[in-house]
Amino acid sequence: MSILAGLGVYFLLPQGRLSRPRVGFLFAAAALLAWMAVAGLRLSSAEPSKVYFLIFSSIALAAGVCVITHRKPVYSALYFVVVVLAVAALLVLQHAEFLAIALIIIYAGAIMVTYLFVIMLAQQSGVPLYDRRAREPFFAVLLGFVFMATVVVRTGDDSGINASVGPKIASLVQHPVESTTPSTHAAIAHDGNTAAMGAVLATKYVVVLEIGALLLLISMVGAIALSRKRLPREGHAVSSAPLGQVGKTVEPF
Amino acid sequence: MAAAPGYIVLGALLFSLGVIGFLSRRNLIVIFLSTEMMFQGVVINVVTYSRLHGQVDGQAFGLFLLVIAAVEAGLALGLLVLLHRRRGTLDAEAWTTMRG
Repeated sequence: MSILAGLGVYFLLPQGRLSRPRVGFLFAAAALLAWMAVAGLRLSSAEPSKVYFLIFSSIALAAGVCVITHRKPVYSALYFVVVVLAVAALLVLQHAEFLAIALIIIYAGAIMVTYLFVIMLAQQSGVPLYDRRAREPFFAVLLGFVFMATVVVRTGDDSGINASVGPKIASLVQHPVESTTPSTHAAIAHDGNTAAMGAVLATKYVVVLEIGALLLLISMVGAIALSRKRLPREGHAVSSAPLGQVGKTVEPF
Repeated sequence: MAAAPGYIVLGALLFSLGVIGFLSRRNLIVIFLSTEMMFQGVVINVVTYSRLHGQVDGQAFGLFLLVIAAVEAGLALGLLVLLHRRRGTLDAEAWTTMRG
């Protein structure tokens, strides 16, 4: 399955004249079907949440392949929104409702809007050469899927998701650890996920939370300092550009 | 609980797709999008293990990951705008003077 997926991604990556998007599409579709079949074989117990897992994981994978293979960055960003939405649905399936909503608001709302703004600021017309030609696609795909195979062998068999799970994770999967702090479990059951997360964030990780806030402040200051225009100081000669052209061109600094 | 390996494999798949995109694309914006996709894979992994342990600590880590992703996106995009002003291109290959 991973060989199929690797071939699909390899052929889908833009490579100038060597590009074979149709072949790549066939391979990628075959890999997606294989993923659905392998994951679907475990569906015999027919839990509804597993059906949803199948649907949303397939959406996330297909959109993820589109993100890294599409030739236009705008479409890449939009496909990434699809990935975020599918991942958020998977988080809801895992009872992480607060994180799912935060993911949608922060990623699909804030971060992607910033990306789209920068794309529209910086995009030339047409598809430039560097979007049509990938850099070392073969080695990138090889490295990526060797990495994935390493993780998967540690986690479970590639061909059978549930078969021959690595011993440590297997014991964890079969006997999920009961919460070390019994109050956490009760809190989740009683107040729901958001209240439990709030309790953890405000007690155990309160320092980390503050550091995160500080980090956001630093990044905001840094981003503003990086991207401001350098204006001439007062007292110096005003820009010699003719009226209507002032501020249209920015000297590099 | 039985679907947990599926979630972990899915996280690894998203992460490796991000690695492939990061290594092979030349547009700086798509490179940073690929890192964001790696973050998605990590978030799935963290939340899965959080559920397996029956705690919400992992979800708290997921939230901090989100913070880091926002910081990274803000700074990286500021740098991108700066680089684009200098050279007028988003090609990563345009900035190879330090290669020697």
